Amino acid sequence: MPKTTTFALLLWLLTVTTLVFTIVPPALGLGYLVRIMFFHIPMAWVAVLGFLLSAWWAIRYLRTKQMRYHLLSSSAARLGLIFCLLATGSGAIFAKLTWGAYWNWDPRQTTIFILLLIYGAYISLEASVEDPARRANAAAVYTLFSFITVPFLVFIIPRFFESLHPEPLINNAGKIQMDSIMIGVLLAALAGITGLFLWLLQYWMKRRTTKVRE
Amino acid sequence: MLPKSSLYRSITAILKKDFLNELRSYYALSTLIMFILTALSSLSMSLGGITPAPHLLAALLWVILFFSAMAGLSRVFAQEADAGTLFTLKVYALPQAVYFGKLIFSFLLLAGINIILLPLFILFFNIDSPRFLPLLGILLLGSAGLAAVSTLTAAMSAQARGRSSLFTVLTFPLILPQFLSAIRLTGTILSAKPPTTGETLFLAGYAVAAITAGSLLFDFLWSD
Repeated sequence: MPKTTTFALLLWLLTVTTLVFTIVPPALGLGYLVRIMFFHIPMAWVAVLGFLLSAWWAIRYLRTKQMRYHLLSSSAARLGLIFCLLATGSGAIFAKLTWGAYWNWDPRQTTIFILLLIYGAYISLEASVEDPARRANAAAVYTLFSFITVPFLVFIIPRFFESLHPEPLINNAGKIQMDSIMIGVLLAALAGITGLFLWLLQYWMKRRTTKVRE
Repeated sequence: MLPKSSLYRSITAILKKDFLNELRSYYALSTLIMFILTALSSLSMSLGGITPAPHLLAALLWVILFFSAMAGLSRVFAQEADAGTLFTLKVYALPQAVYFGKLIFSFLLLAGINIILLPLFILFFNIDSPRFLPLLGILLLGSAGLAAVSTLTAAMSAQARGRSSLFTVLTFPLILPQFLSAIRLTGTILSAKPPTTGETLFLAGYAVAAITAGSLLFDFLWSD
């Protein structure tokens, strides 16, 4: 990756952070705690994106049996785990400050926790199978199987747990309920963190492929 | 594509082989039964004979069943890896025959376990007027999904390091949707209400989806 891209990404992330701490107005009922949101939402989004990309590359791997796709799928899963941990952590802090408990199995907490379990299981699987081809096969099959459980979880979890989580950005009526400055900064943060994810992904891929060549 | 009868015959051959193996060693069955007894009695003893609320009872029942299954079912493929017959099976048997043979074997093992577990559970926890048949039905539906998932994860972990703990770690996230809805449904029945159709359909739907997905993905896993 050219140095200018890296530099631009860094600049973008710094600007977004500065904006979060300067121009974002306090939210009704949340006050300045709303600042956490600009890191929490993008991280949760990237955790899900990592899962989607990992599943997509798992399909590509099973079709072509090219090690490159396995490495992509596995790197996306590992990065996804890191962002998932960050999203869970920032969410728990936000929950403690606003609704009084770090953890209460809110539907969203449950969902992200299941994602953590899947990522964790995936990494244990990769660590325990020695033969590279067999490891790649098992990892791809595992990702795809866990992907199948997602629609079922979407159905069952809201029935099992009560929610205190703030309304999603775009609610059921399809209306955006947010200050326009906030929306702008949030979208910038989403773009920035997604960029960071992609940058880290290519960096890891470069490192892992050179390691394979050695 | 081979004719249907050939697939059917391979499945029954694998089933027969597994049952014969099991009857000679009693490995999986003895582990499963002793695990259930240990888990049940440790819970019942520590609670000192109280009957917990229905939803709590339901959660206990499924936690016992899940961990018992995890103790016994990894054996389904691990035994082949230990005996060195995994390769032979890969060479001679169709992947689908292996999948369905092992799936049915796991399911029958779990069904046997349920028939032992449920009366003991009712007995140990003093459940008044239990609805035995609906409860058994839910347990069997849950077992079908559990068997489908565990066949795939057992095959994955058979040749891995630390396979029995890996097996549990791999299986839990995949079985979660079914686990949660089965607990809900069992809780409903234990509080003397009729089971809701929606939840029952969900449970059956998950079992069907898991079996289908397992069957589709098993080919990739088996052909390495």
